[in-house]
Parts: sequence; C-alpha cells; structure tokens
Amino acid sequence: MSVNLASARLWRGFPQAILACFAVVAVAFMLPSDGYYLNILMQAVTYAIAVSGLVVVLGYCGQISIAQAAFFGLGAYGVAIGMVDYHLGFFPAWLCGIGAAGLLGLLLGLGSLRLGGHYLAMVTISFQQILTLFLTNWLEFTHGPDGIRDIPRPRLGPISFEGGHAFLALCLVTLVIVTLAVWRLKTGRLGRAMQAVRDNELAAGTCGINVFATKVIAFGLSAVLGGIGGGLFAGGFQYISPDQFSFGESIVLLTMALLGGVQSPFGSLVGTMLLIILPEWLRFLKQVYLAVYGASVILIMVFLPDGLWGLMLERVRKRAKPILGDVAKLPLLTQTGQESAEFVLVIDGLAKHFGGLKALDGISLAVRKGSVHALIGPNGSGKSTFINVITGLYKPTAGKVTFAGRDITHAPPHERNRAGLARTFQNIRVFRGMTVLENIMVGAERPGNDIAENPALVVERALAALDFVGLRGDAHRDVGALSYGHQRYVEIARALAATPQTLLLDEPAAGLNLTEKHELGELLRRLKGHGLTILIIDHDMKLVEQVADHITVLNFGKRIADGSPRDVLNHPDVIAAYLGEPQEEAGAAS
Amino acid sequence: MAIFLQLLFTGLGIGAIYALVALGFVLLIRAASVVNFAQGQFAMVGAYMLVICFNVLGLPYLLSMAISIVLMAVFGVIFAGATYWPLRHRGGLPVIISTIGASIFLENIVLFLYGPSPEVLPGLFDSPGIQVGQVFMDSQYLSILVAAALLVILQYFIFEKTLLGKKLQATSQDKEMASLLGIPVAAMILFTFSYSAMLGGIAGMLVAPVLFVSVGMGGLIALKAFAANIIGGYGSIPGAILGGLALGVAETMGAAYISVPYKDAFAFAMLLMFLMVRPQGLFGEKISEKA
Amino acid sequence: MSLLEIENLTARYSSGAGDVLKGINVSVEEGEIVALLGANGAGKSTTLRSISGLVPHVGGAIKLGGVSLLGQSVEAIARLGVAHVPEGRRVFPGLTVAENILLGASNRKGVSRAEMNREVDEKFDLFPDLVRLRDALGWTLSGGQLQMVAVARGLMAKPRVLLLDEPSLGLAPLIVQQVFRIVAEIRRRGTTVLLVEQNANVALSVADRGYVLETGKVLVSGKPAELWKDPQVRAAYLGGHAIA
Repeated sequence: MSVNLASARLWRGFPQAILACFAVVAVAFMLPSDGYYLNILMQAVTYAIAVSGLVVVLGYCGQISIAQAAFFGLGAYGVAIGMVDYHLGFFPAWLCGIGAAGLLGLLLGLGSLRLGGHYLAMVTISFQQILTLFLTNWLEFTHGPDGIRDIPRPRLGPISFEGGHAFLALCLVTLVIVTLAVWRLKTGRLGRAMQAVRDNELAAGTCGINVFATKVIAFGLSAVLGGIGGGLFAGGFQYISPDQFSFGESIVLLTMALLGGVQSPFGSLVGTMLLIILPEWLRFLKQVYLAVYGASVILIMVFLPDGLWGLMLERVRKRAKPILGDVAKLPLLTQTGQESAEFVLVIDGLAKHFGGLKALDGISLAVRKGSVHALIGPNGSGKSTFINVITGLYKPTAGKVTFAGRDITHAPPHERNRAGLARTFQNIRVFRGMTVLENIMVGAERPGNDIAENPALVVERALAALDFVGLRGDAHRDVGALSYGHQRYVEIARALAATPQTLLLDEPAAGLNLTEKHELGELLRRLKGHGLTILIIDHDMKLVEQVADHITVLNFGKRIADGSPRDVLNHPDVIAAYLGEPQEEAGAAS
Repeated sequence: MAIFLQLLFTGLGIGAIYALVALGFVLLIRAASVVNFAQGQFAMVGAYMLVICFNVLGLPYLLSMAISIVLMAVFGVIFAGATYWPLRHRGGLPVIISTIGASIFLENIVLFLYGPSPEVLPGLFDSPGIQVGQVFMDSQYLSILVAAALLVILQYFIFEKTLLGKKLQATSQDKEMASLLGIPVAAMILFTFSYSAMLGGIAGMLVAPVLFVSVGMGGLIALKAFAANIIGGYGSIPGAILGGLALGVAETMGAAYISVPYKDAFAFAMLLMFLMVRPQGLFGEKISEKA
Repeated sequence: MSLLEIENLTARYSSGAGDVLKGINVSVEEGEIVALLGANGAGKSTTLRSISGLVPHVGGAIKLGGVSLLGQSVEAIARLGVAHVPEGRRVFPGLTVAENILLGASNRKGVSRAEMNREVDEKFDLFPDLVRLRDALGWTLSGGQLQMVAVARGLMAKPRVLLLDEPSLGLAPLIVQQVFRIVAEIRRRGTTVLLVEQNANVALSVADRGYVLETGKVLVSGKPAELWKDPQVRAAYLGGHAIA
C-alpha cells in the first residue's frame, strides 16, 4: 500500500468496493441451497462485522474492550424485539439496536476512558455481565432465557430478503461497506489520531489530539459496529437467546481479532473465517473449542502479536518506495531576521511541588519572539519539569504561563498545541506503529493548522517538513526502523509541520553521535531567523553556545542566571552550580 | 432486626470469600504489576482439586484440603510460567489479554474433564451450625470467617515480620532496586503467583460447600473480587479486604431487600459507580495521570 | 591486578540507538576512591550501570578481581560484591529505615539474623542522624536522609566495590558536605569506592584519582591536583568558554 499524494483522494477504494459488492452478491446466489453453508457464512460474516469494531477500538486505538458481544447482542435484540413485539420493519429495528449499542458505548466510554487499560477492561466485563443478567431476567421485555424466535426477514420495497441467499447477500454487502469504511478510517485523520493515542498517548496530546475524545469515539464506533453485526445475526438466524451474547462470546470475538491481526479489517476477516470454519472441520474439538480459544489467545500474544495479517504485511512494507516530486517549501512564519521586542512566552512565579520536593520553586522568565532561548542547569535542577509544566503534562502548584497573550496555565496539552506550542521529548516519543510520513502528518493536521482540513495539502506539508530535516527518502519506512538520531529528526519534523509559533526542544542532542549533533546544530541555525521562537533545553554546551541568543540557568528549581551566553557562562554562580563550590584541597583525601 | 443480623452474618461470610480472592489479586498487582483476570479460576481449580481428593479418591477431608493447597501452590508457578513470564517485558495489555485467555482455557478444560453438572461437597463440619442469640451461624460460614481471619493474620505476619516478606515488599515497590541488592526478583514474583494461587484455591475450597462446585463459579467470584479491589482502593491491601466484606454485605442485603435475580448486578453497579465517581476507591490514592 | 578493571567499555541502551559509551578505560585499586566526572550525558552513570548489569548492550571487558562481570545477571553481580547506590537513592518508600538497611545484606549468604541486626546497629553508629528515624518509612525522609540510608544500605552488602551514583544530586550544599565526610570515612575504613559526580569540586576533595568523561570517552585522568589545574575539565562542563 504505497502512500502517495494520490492517497488523499476521497474515493480511494470505492471502485474496488463496488466491484466487490457485485462479486459477493453473485457468490451468494451461486451457493448451494443447503442451509448448512448459508448458516456458516452468515455467522462468519456477522461476526466479522462485529470483530471489525474491535479492530477500531483495540487495533487502532489500543483500548481494550471485552464487551463486544454485549453490543452485538444489543443490535440483535433491537431487531428481535423491534420486529416481533413492536412490529417495526427490519431496518428501523436495526437502527434502534445500533442506536442503543452506540449510546451505551458512548456512555460507558465517557465514564471510564479517563482511567488506565485494566479499568476499562473491568468496566467492559461488568457491563457485559449486567447486560446478560438483564437479558436473562427482564422477562417482560427480553423474553428471558427462552429467547426470541420467529424473527422475520426484511423487505425493502419490492426486494424481499426472505430467502437465505438474498439475506446472505445483504450481509456480505454490509461487510464490504464496513470493511471499506474501517480500512479508510486507518489512513484518515481520525484513524491517525487513534493510532497516535495507542502508540504514545502523551505525545498525541502535545500534537493537538484530544486524547479523551478520540478514545470515546473509537469506543462508540466499535459499539456501533457490534450492533450492526448483531442486527444482521438476528435476521439471519431468526432466533436469539441471551447465552449467545455472553462473556465467552466476547472472548471468541477478541480471539478472532487477535489471530487475524487486530490492526487491519482484512486481518480480522481472515481470523474470523478461520475460527468459524476450522471448528466445523474439527468437530471433535467442539467440546473443548473454547479451551482451545483460551489457549490460542495466550499463544497468539506470545508468538504472533501482529496476527497472521501482520506477518504478511511485513513483507509488503519492506518494499516501500520513496516518494518523488516537488512540494511547496515549509512555511516557518513569515517574519525574518531580528528578534522583536515582544515576548511570546511569559512565565511568572511558576512552582511545581511533588509532595515535599520543590522541583520548581518560583521561576519567572520571558522568551522573546523569534529568539533561540536556552534553558540549562545541572542534573535535577528542574528543566524537564519546567517544560512538562509549560506543555500541560503537569499541573503547576502555583504561577502563571502566558503564551501569545493567552493564559494557558490550566489548559490541557492539546489546547496548548492548538495555540501554537509544539514540542519534542527527551526520550523520543514517535508513533511506532506508523510510518515516518504518517507521524509527521499527525503534526501537520493538528486542529487550527492552515492546511489541516485538506488531506492532499497535509501530505504536502508533511513532505515539506521531511525535506527540511533531510529525510525524504525514509517517508514510507516504519519509524522504528530509523536510527535514534533520525527518529529525533522525525519528531522535530512533526513539530515543525504543525507550523508552531514556538518550538520547545527537550534535550534534542541527547543520544546523538557527533555527526548527528553537527547536523542538529545546522538544522537549528536554519530555523533561526525565520521568526520561529525556539526554547531549547540541553546539556551540550557547545551546541547551546552556538545557537542560543539568550540563556536562563536553573538550579534547585530556581533561576540563578539569565542573559546572553557570554555573561551567563562566566557567571560565578553558574560555574559553581556545575562544578560545585570550591573546596579545601586534599584535606579529607589522604 | 434478627433478619438484618442474619443477613449481615451471611454477607460477611460471602464477603470474606471475595476478600480472599481480592487479596490474591492485589498481591499480584503490587508484586508484578499483573492484572490477573484468571484469579477467579484459581478458586474454581482449588475447589475441583478438593472434589477430586475427597469425593473421588476418598481421602480424609482435612488431608484433601492440605494436598489441594500444595497443588495450588505448584499450579501458581506453572500459571506464571505460561501466561506471565513470556510476556513480562511487553507491558500491561498483552499480559491482561493473556490472563483472559488463561481464564477461558481453565474454565473449559475443567468443563471438558469434568462435565457441566455441579458437584456437591460437604462442609468442614458435620454439625449444621450454632445458634447465637437471634442469629443462626452456619458452620461453613463460620469456617470461612475464621479461615479468612487466620489467613489475613498469616499474611500480615509474613509480610511485616519476616525477611521474605520484606523482600517481597521491596520487589513490589522497586523491582530494579531490589535486584541491585541481590534479591532474586524472579523468584519473588513466582512466589507471589504461587501464594496468590493458594489464596484463591482456599477461597474456592471454603465456598464450595455453600455454592456447589461448578465450572462457572470462578468467573463471577473473580469479577466481584475485582470490584472489591476497586471499591476498596486499587492496589491497597486493607482496601481489598474491606472492599470484599463491604461488597458481600451490600450484595446480600440487596438480594434480600430489593431483588434476588439481579443480585449479581449489584456488584457491577457498585463498581461502575465507583469507577465513574471515585475511581481511587475508599483507601486508594488519587489516580493522577503520569507525565 | 586492580580490583576493578574496565577495558574498552562500549554500551548502548537499545539496539537502534547510538553508543553511549565509546571505549572507556578505568581501573580502581583496592582501598581507593576513584571519581568519574563530566557533564551530564557524558556517560558517567551509564558506566556504573554497565558494571552492575543494568545496561542491555555492553561490549569490552569489566573485571572484578579478575572475574568478568559481562553478561551476568544483576543479582549475580550483586552477589559477587558490587553494591550500587543508584542515582536518586531509591530507598524503598513503604519500608522503614531499618528495614531498608537490613535488605542491603540480601546479596550475602549464610548470615544469621542476629548478625545482620548487629551490623544494622553498626550502621546507625556510622550515621547517628538516622538513629531517631529508625522506624520512619522511606517516603517521609528528606533528600539528605535518603542519601544516608542508601549509603548505609549499600555498605550492608559488605561490598568489594561501592558504586556511588551522583550522591550530591538535589542536595543543599551543607548536606553535600555531610555526605562527603561520610564518604571519606567509609574509605578510611577500607571500602573501595567508584564515585560518579557532576559536582567536580566536592568529588575531587575526597578522591584519590579521577577520570573526566566527555561524550562517552575518557578525556583526561589523574590525581585531583592535576585535574584541578587542567582547563579541559572546565571546558568539558561549560563548553568552549574558558575563564573570560
């Protein structure tokens, strides 16, 4: 799957999908009328639709959901109760079921996605159990453990889906549409946001992504997909009961997703087909098939973490080609040259206490617009804490942060990014599950960026940023395959693609070899004089000397010096901070 | 009033079972940062081991319990080797999924070996119980409460008073530092799995005479133990115990005063409420986002 | 033969990253205090972590009393007599001071509980300020107190070499002096110390010899008096600016 500028085409995949629809309808009608094959396929197809929901929430967004069978069940019961008890048509009843699933999914997500992975897992299991209890015990509404039978098949105007072939065709067409949608989601803006959240939640926030909202949307989407599959299941088998939508079935769905490859709807399709058709061939395992499922989950986690599809994809990715063609130059703000007197970032009395430890003890400083301002200090002086507070990863204990005239002291990270603040991390936070280009596109499409709404321009902007750091040839490579130094450049390119007002670099030289440090220095000099304000934290004094217009020195969470490099680096307090106070010689050491 | 006290007694008894399972669960969280979704199956396996020793092999009751406990200890190590060890560097999610797989595997393997019909186990004592004032104290429930209390005391003793306990605590507080001191971290973690399996197994053996021994018994108990953990305060040992007791009482009262069929829903409803309103539970620390 | 021999040591943290250490040569004689100095990122802490087994990709040679430490597990290296007092102290927050110190002996076999308790008491003689904190939990202590507990814990291992990583980090100057008085005392009692410090002044005031590291290599080494006069030392910390 080579991404080129054409990848931004809106109708990508549509021709193939339409072709596939015709193909599957034809296949559906060519199958033998024996109910056995029809039933197997119907189960496989409806399950595959539900499993694609797991691809979205777990594969793309990295959030665990063990309630997919519950949403599947809500869709099924929506159709069943709607048609049998309320005499609705199939499609309205289907919509009710999907709506119920989606709504509950959203509520569940809203309540629990602020917490860590295992909390969500527990919440989803609990939800699953409560739903099963209601399905079994709320006799008046759900008919209880006996289930609902004689669910009619739909009619759509003159077309009747009464026959097995016709209904299977309907299922297959739905599957094609769902697969197309889920596949397109991955290479779209929302999909990239989800993957960014999965790969590095912290960095995703600083790239302008509203992490919480993204997770909730992923969860809601997965619930909706579960509901879609469930509705078709009810129409297909025309009889449902609570035990078909239990915790065990959620595990089955999870296994199908994992086996095929939870990153891709094609992969999960493979997994679903395998796990439905195989047991039919291995009838004798029927009694223990769930045990085999359980064991296979463990084995897959250990040996096949990317599933079968992941294995295949590895071979495809290795043949990635570079992108050719010229793109517009990277815009780095329109002003050139001199620092202006205006201060773009003003910090006033900033304090951060961790219990008794005063990591930041009342720091004030001002960063001039367009300048390169360095923040230095010995280990433990508070530099990283400082940058984390400014970018919103820590809440300050006291003080005020003003950026471009706005008070951002309490703003969440994604809002600071939208205001024009971009950063890199000391321990490199790139999105490992995506390619180099995709990483930078996340930066480029940050809400508020001029080209964010135009996919083609987003790609162009990302390529321009890549050009700037000199890595155009690596655009399609997995970012994890790059050397450490080049990953650092990708992070910088990601920040630059967001067209920031101010760029915060947290120890950009850390881990770079001599050549790479040279290149970094070059890069920073190229950035200078374009009007971009840069705040850089680093220990490498040579680098700092070369690029900084202004240096602030921290020690013990306090500011101890502030001024031009020449003044600061000769300041006795600064020298003492690094080298220590002069001691009496040799007295203790003989 | 009599009914209330009776319900309280029963609730505490069931709560003690949840507390024991929750205790094993929280130990694994602290020692190895493992969220073990198969904790309930430890109870189920323990109960079935007792069934095999007592019902099938005809060994005396106490001996059967002793053998089963030892077997559970061994089982814990095997479990750790299969689900945790190969994934120990891969982070939280793979391990969680792996333990979920293990829980399904265990349930269904036992189902295959033993069939779906529940087994009956007699209680520890022949006499049905003693009457104390207005409350009839069922002998098995009494055994549960006494055993749980003894185990909590034993645990306190091990963790606070022995060198091994200190090493276990050190491992759970800072694994890398513990290894720098020469503490065999891997052995500590395996021991914790082993001990956790024993706790779960004992809980299963104690509750079996009350609930019937069936394949599905573990799942529901585990979920309630998780709920107890969160309600009491995630990662807190006293929280696990108190959360379990509170849950048992709430559930029993709820079943009697509100509705029986939805009894199990109370645990989950409580859990959901806590998660949404006070995720740190009763004793936990505020859960802050780490930067 | 030196007690601790490090030859051509290379190290990196992950297979994709660059080498943090690019061929370090350090030797420590028995009974010495040797200081590793240099700016942050020079590789001082990585050197110590390579010795104690915490760095995954290590090349070259590290020998303690002739026995190679390369490739051994962290616990095995501790049992061989290497006590690492890491950066940030890492005192167990939920255990008391006495318990923390007691656990320092975890690398030794066959020591009776009584013997260990006696040794713990000896540590309190060495660190009288800790006596009243005997039963205080780790998380309640101040930086200086934590440093003393960490050192006492390291000494419990009866180590052949004590690795001290940035003991002055985050401590007020007065406390730093106190800590280093103890370091001098430890050496006086016969413990070999390999000390990593950013604070060159205070380190050189107790050390017998020092090595100055810069970006993964040894820049210069020698006795404190020599190093003190060498302008390269200042440059290594503060860049090209010599005394104005």
